[in-house]
Amino acid sequence: MSRSPRWSLFAILATAAIVFTACAGAASPSPSASTAASSASAPASAASSGPYAAKSYPDTAIDCAALPKDYTGTISQIKAVDQLTVEFDLCAPDVAFLSKVAFTSNNIQDSDWLAAHAKDKSYVHDATNGTGPYRVKEWVSGDHLTLEANPGYWGTAGKAQTVVVKWSKEAAQRLQELKAGTVDGIDNVGTDDFETVKADASLKLFPREALNILYLGLNVNQAPWNNEKVRQAIAMGIDRKRIAENFYPAGSEAAKYFTPCAIPLACGGDAWYDFDAPQAKQLLQSAGFDFGKTYNFHYRTKVRSYLPSPTQVATDIQSQLKDNLGVKINLVVEKDDTFLTDESKGKFPMFLLGWGADYPDVTDFLDVHFGTGANSGFGKKFDDVTQLLTAAASEADATKRGDDYAKANTAIRTHVPMVPLVHGGSATAWRADVEGAHSSPIGNEALWTTKPGDRNQVVWMQNSEPSGLYCGDESDGDALRICQQIFDSLYQYKVGGLETEPALASSCDPSPDFKVWTCKLRQGVKFGVQGELDANDVVDSFAVQWDAKNPLHVGNGGTFDYFPALFGGLLNPPPPAP
Amino acid sequence: MTTAAAPATVGLDAAPRSRSSGLWRDALRNILRQRNARVGLSILTILVLSAIFADVLSPYDPDKTLLGAEKRLAPPCVHLLGCAAAKPEHPFGLDANGRDEFSRVLHGARISLQVGFITVGFAIVLGMLLGLVSGYAGGWTETLIMRVMDVLLVFPALLLAIAIVAALGPGLINAQLAIGIVAIPVYARVMRASVLTVRESDFVTASRALGESPFGLIFRRILPNALTPIIVAGTLGIAGAVLDIAALSFLGLGAQPPLAEWGSMIGQDRNYVFTAPHLIWFPGLALALTVFGFNLLGDGLRDALDPRLNR
Amino acid sequence: MTRYIIRRLLITIPVLFGVIVLVFIVGRLLPGDPCRILLGERATDAVCAEFNHRLGFDLPVLEQFAVYLGNLGHGDLGTSFRTSRPVATLLIERLPMTLELSLYALLFATTVGILLGVVSAYKRNSAVDVLTMAGANLGVSIPVFVLGLLLASLFALVLKGTPFALPPSGRLTAGISIVPLAVRWGMENDHGPLRAVVDFVSNMYSLNGLLSAQWDIFADAIRHLILPAVALGTIPLAIIARITRSSLVDVLGLDYIRTARAKGLGDRGVVRRHALPNAMLPLVTIVGLQVGGLLSGAVLTETIFVLPGVGLATYDAITSHDFAVIQGFTLVIAIGFLLINLLVDLSYGYLDPRIRPT
Repeated sequence: MSRSPRWSLFAILATAAIVFTACAGAASPSPSASTAASSASAPASAASSGPYAAKSYPDTAIDCAALPKDYTGTISQIKAVDQLTVEFDLCAPDVAFLSKVAFTSNNIQDSDWLAAHAKDKSYVHDATNGTGPYRVKEWVSGDHLTLEANPGYWGTAGKAQTVVVKWSKEAAQRLQELKAGTVDGIDNVGTDDFETVKADASLKLFPREALNILYLGLNVNQAPWNNEKVRQAIAMGIDRKRIAENFYPAGSEAAKYFTPCAIPLACGGDAWYDFDAPQAKQLLQSAGFDFGKTYNFHYRTKVRSYLPSPTQVATDIQSQLKDNLGVKINLVVEKDDTFLTDESKGKFPMFLLGWGADYPDVTDFLDVHFGTGANSGFGKKFDDVTQLLTAAASEADATKRGDDYAKANTAIRTHVPMVPLVHGGSATAWRADVEGAHSSPIGNEALWTTKPGDRNQVVWMQNSEPSGLYCGDESDGDALRICQQIFDSLYQYKVGGLETEPALASSCDPSPDFKVWTCKLRQGVKFGVQGELDANDVVDSFAVQWDAKNPLHVGNGGTFDYFPALFGGLLNPPPPAP
Repeated sequence: MTTAAAPATVGLDAAPRSRSSGLWRDALRNILRQRNARVGLSILTILVLSAIFADVLSPYDPDKTLLGAEKRLAPPCVHLLGCAAAKPEHPFGLDANGRDEFSRVLHGARISLQVGFITVGFAIVLGMLLGLVSGYAGGWTETLIMRVMDVLLVFPALLLAIAIVAALGPGLINAQLAIGIVAIPVYARVMRASVLTVRESDFVTASRALGESPFGLIFRRILPNALTPIIVAGTLGIAGAVLDIAALSFLGLGAQPPLAEWGSMIGQDRNYVFTAPHLIWFPGLALALTVFGFNLLGDGLRDALDPRLNR
Repeated sequence: MTRYIIRRLLITIPVLFGVIVLVFIVGRLLPGDPCRILLGERATDAVCAEFNHRLGFDLPVLEQFAVYLGNLGHGDLGTSFRTSRPVATLLIERLPMTLELSLYALLFATTVGILLGVVSAYKRNSAVDVLTMAGANLGVSIPVFVLGLLLASLFALVLKGTPFALPPSGRLTAGISIVPLAVRWGMENDHGPLRAVVDFVSNMYSLNGLLSAQWDIFADAIRHLILPAVALGTIPLAIIARITRSSLVDVLGLDYIRTARAKGLGDRGVVRRHALPNAMLPLVTIVGLQVGGLLSGAVLTETIFVLPGVGLATYDAITSHDFAVIQGFTLVIAIGFLLINLLVDLSYGYLDPRIRPT
């Protein structure tokens, strides 16, 4: 038998395999910047001959005296006054408006771009168009993301021509790459590596303020935690100092209050209970606690600045509860992606979670967790707490606000819906020759201000890959940080700090009662791929997040967590989960 | 005629009995003659003893954190090797939660042995059942069962195990189930091959002609024939199962904290590979030694029991 | 021969179908409603009804399966929930990495393994033999993840600064960027199957460097693959070494070898011309079987060395219940295996004339 028939058969089989994959490939759209398709809602944004077609959203302002039944938000209308002026009308005074508007979820998108790329979700991964100092050059999913300088940038150009973003879940690996010189800066230096970095002359450590809180959550609806005495016993029975000293880097401390004290008005009222195991045990016995049962304790293994070593902290808590109080708990690891959802529905009787500051105000901590808009993680809310928080949120007088928060802190201490554990310090580390290296207290590092020695490219390594680059619908810090390199908001946080300064808006001025904010936009700002900034872009950027019924309210996962947290609620929200 | 038949029957009955016990003794002697098997058995003896006497041999409770008194991640301290007498002795150091690593490694032996035997036992029982049924029944049943085995074999073992654990939820029991399921085809095939060989042989036809029941056939002819390859495959299979469970636990899908399983210990302390490498070395060495022991034993068994190699 | 091939193909088809069904079932069995997992708190009944309708989850299961099969026929492997991108695109991005890694691991395992096996068989029962075989046994026993971690710490940290230092993770040194072959060859506007094939090849960075004569890229890609390939290939290497040795020992004892030696052929000639080709047969089976182990090991290797390949992608997809990705990837992997098994079977006929079916 000659060889040729067999070899040709081999060839046919091999080709068949390749053709199969190729046909599959041909059926998929190729990832390139697609041109804008005809849009449904957004009007033309370029100034054409004739008067400017200014948008208002909604067309008729919401009547603050007669709010729709399901609307808990504070915005009444957002409107473009002229091509470069936007006005925000609020139903309640908001002193923290600038901080909120500077937040990354409020990045400004181009109206036409939204119309073309929201519905098919291409704006999440393949089609980004921002006004920021960089634009996406290539994104190799799973491997790295390359940004190049945005040639038409309105501000001071980024110091490095290119930014390469890499990621690794393991702190040891990030440090290894930094030491090897393959990356210029890393996020979240490992807890035990702070000393190593400090001792290395070729590296520099930049600690972050601990603007976060790790807490042990208790669901007050579920036994045995529905007994307030039991909860108070747990509050006294954990040596929080030991956790902070052993599992957290320098700059961390045991929490005295829920909100870190660096935030103004946070630390009034009674400080948390001291560690007193004998008294806690007595309290448990007098409350008739059942020491024979084993109770479930839920946590996830995702690393966060408030929890750099989840498994170790959970193990230590288990060990402490057993040794100090005789309480037996069973560690239950939950999946990363379902943990938050289940927690928000109040599924877990006892769990470990935390919170990192988004903007420097007490409302970002207390209201989100204990206010009227908080989720069901801790079970039933306490009326004394919610009333104090609601009053304080719209109180313009700082002293009175401080009083209200102090009383709220004391009430929280009495009711113990959770035990605040640690404010976790973290740090970034950079190679010593990087100019402008820094860390941001809210994880918002400005990579455009860094220049690595005489190299023209800065390589940054963070914890994980950005889950998407449409930040109206992202809540993970690793995505938000990268959005900030590509997009701008009306205001921005100062580099490495918490104060805000103008960005796309040259100014945003409040009315005397803080209910109307008027922002004047800079002129001639160009988007990285196409379009020029005008007021309608601002209106649309907010509107597509705000109104759940807007056809462009698509996002990545569709949860749009930040808008309701910042502005009280969505318009036409979907009915709450049963 | 009768006189001629009687001695023949006596011979037929008598010979197998003494031959089979002689066979076992021969086999054992063969096994111990293999250097591989001897080394493997000695390693495994140490392992089994550590597992059984883990509670006695461990200086500390493997789950007890010693954080109040001692520093976590402390390097190994052995007084005989020069560590200061004032410091508490920890031959393998302390882990990230301040627990004694030596005690944990010893208890890990218990878990790994349990896991290995249970998983392979499960796979052997089910595999043998499937192999028997398909070999005996033939026809469509056989084709169906064997195709299902083929489908199972097509998947990379670890990925299939990951999928099963993802469906059932992480945990040591689910991991054992997953690895067990993945391992079934091997034993099914061995059993079926054995059934097929025996089914066609002459003495089986003779036995059946003499009225032997199918159960008798299974237990007296088929099983002994299949025993050797299954024992060899099983021993090697335990090595594989220990490795696979360690891999699943490394990925966080198998043993859950605070259980002291070697793979899980390595997975959790991965970050300390540069600062506290003893936390990777000792469990890793223990794993490698265990698997090495079972591999050697399996090789030795195969060389000893394989009739073709008896030159 | 053709009849044999056709018969083998026919047997493969029900197995392939079985794989598709199994993958579909396992995907649907994964607990957790994808709507609620994806949308979280906003996943109310109304929203989920719309979600399920849009993605066809409200159809009866058999109909869903029919739709899935229909899509497969068009080559549409579905869309990933998590990243909103077509599975086929993800496949073209991730599969080449794993293939590249596996290829180099296999290359390492076969060349060094056969060499060691031949040397051991040649000098059987000497100290070299015993040591090599013991080493091979040990190699099989070390878990891939332990070996990977230790290699990484050895080469990246201990040997840092020396010419032996090797990078501990990633595919390329940061800053070196790959120009896709399609762009280099002016195929940017072509979106057909040929473009997909070129993209696939282009994503194998070492091949990319080779085909475009960019030697620095080629060298860099290879440098990053050395440690992972060694870690991944150690177990197959050990197995190949043992099998080579044992089958060579078997063959060397046969009569025709004695004849060849009597005819005056030197030892090396004997091994090369007569013994080795016949010892190849079991080796081919073993290598074929190793491919499965390579893919399992790839998940662990990719985790440790941070290589964005298909193993890691499948693991991520499984743990986040991304059905489409799980189905698509496992399907392609399964097809690959079946093809390899087929090739192995057919290669028997080529290697051993006695086995060729009439």
